Amino acid sequence: MATKVLSVDDSRTIRMIVGKAFRPYDCQMVEACNGEEGLATAAREKPDLIILDVTMPVMDGVTMLTKLKEDATLKSIPVIMLTAESGRDNVLQIAKLGVRDYLVKPFKEDQLIEKAGKIITLQKKAA
Amino acid sequence: MENPVAYRDLARRYGFAPTPESVSRLTQLVARQDSDIDEIAKVIDKEPALRARLLRVANPDAENEAEYTVDNVEDALMRNGVGCALVLAMGTPLLLALTKTFQTMLSLKLESIDPQTATPLDGEHILGTIGFSGKANGSVYMRMSIASAREIAAGIFGSQPDEITDLNEIKDTTGELLNIMTGNFKSNLCDAGLDCKLQPPAVDRSEDLYTPVVPGGGMERMAFRSGKILLYIDVTVNPWND
Repeated sequence: MATKVLSVDDSRTIRMIVGKAFRPYDCQMVEACNGEEGLATAAREKPDLIILDVTMPVMDGVTMLTKLKEDATLKSIPVIMLTAESGRDNVLQIAKLGVRDYLVKPFKEDQLIEKAGKIITLQKKAA
Repeated sequence: MENPVAYRDLARRYGFAPTPESVSRLTQLVARQDSDIDEIAKVIDKEPALRARLLRVANPDAENEAEYTVDNVEDALMRNGVGCALVLAMGTPLLLALTKTFQTMLSLKLESIDPQTATPLDGEHILGTIGFSGKANGSVYMRMSIASAREIAAGIFGSQPDEITDLNEIKDTTGELLNIMTGNFKSNLCDAGLDCKLQPPAVDRSEDLYTPVVPGGGMERMAFRSGKILLYIDVTVNPWND
């Protein structure tokens, strides 16, 4: 069964770049454009990894992460934060909530794959 | 206050690029409000790029350095106010983030050019704005021709410029560029004690070339070029909103 990755970002551009990064691998991509949608998608799809933005409308990434960690059925899903904000207070707050890694935008697709590969098994698609 | 060592450990673990020391120092000095102007001038004088940008801001009508009437950092600070030093400090992370975004996401080298010698925009163009409010208050304006915006969107989506026909694709890529730039300098402001929140970016077609300066604040205009792409950035900020 393919590894499932959920990308939560209000920017279609970023969701597209994340999807492109995982394209060579046997991964099923699912998307959400805010934290509220992200939580619902996580509950429905049970992804193996969530790539999460911070600043989003409706529900931001920090609120989504807090709710995710409060939910017994979802709290074990590993999360990589993908955001342009790397301020001290933000990072400390997010680290306390429990994220597996943190990637600051702008980023290279290789960097995201390297970080994801430390958390989930990424297998190249058969040619 | 949180333990700075804990943050340093996390920053190392996550692989963050450190903010240049002069930028952090300058932001902290301006945030204090009671800093000595000589202290601020010393930090700027040590950094040729900051010094050049301050003198450019202090001589808005000069077309080149030979025409500068304000030619030293102390006079520039006296004339423009210490707040303009923060505009410079903010411009550096913005400039670094923009250059890195072009390198990493578009594989393009972006060079900073003198905004006064850059070909001015004319007529309808793409205007992206993003505001931030809190202890520091201001906005970033990004302008480019529709052709430049299309080139950028095509580069990010991996397609040809003439394949970008949907204005929403242009708006989304421009908005994300703004988010990345301002997210990076917002972190620098917050770390210096100038907590602020970003507003969502707004992007649309416009013919308006006027940038209103935030009350009580300063403004810096920057321009960048990469091949046929020309970008114009205006940053306006009041560091002491309260």
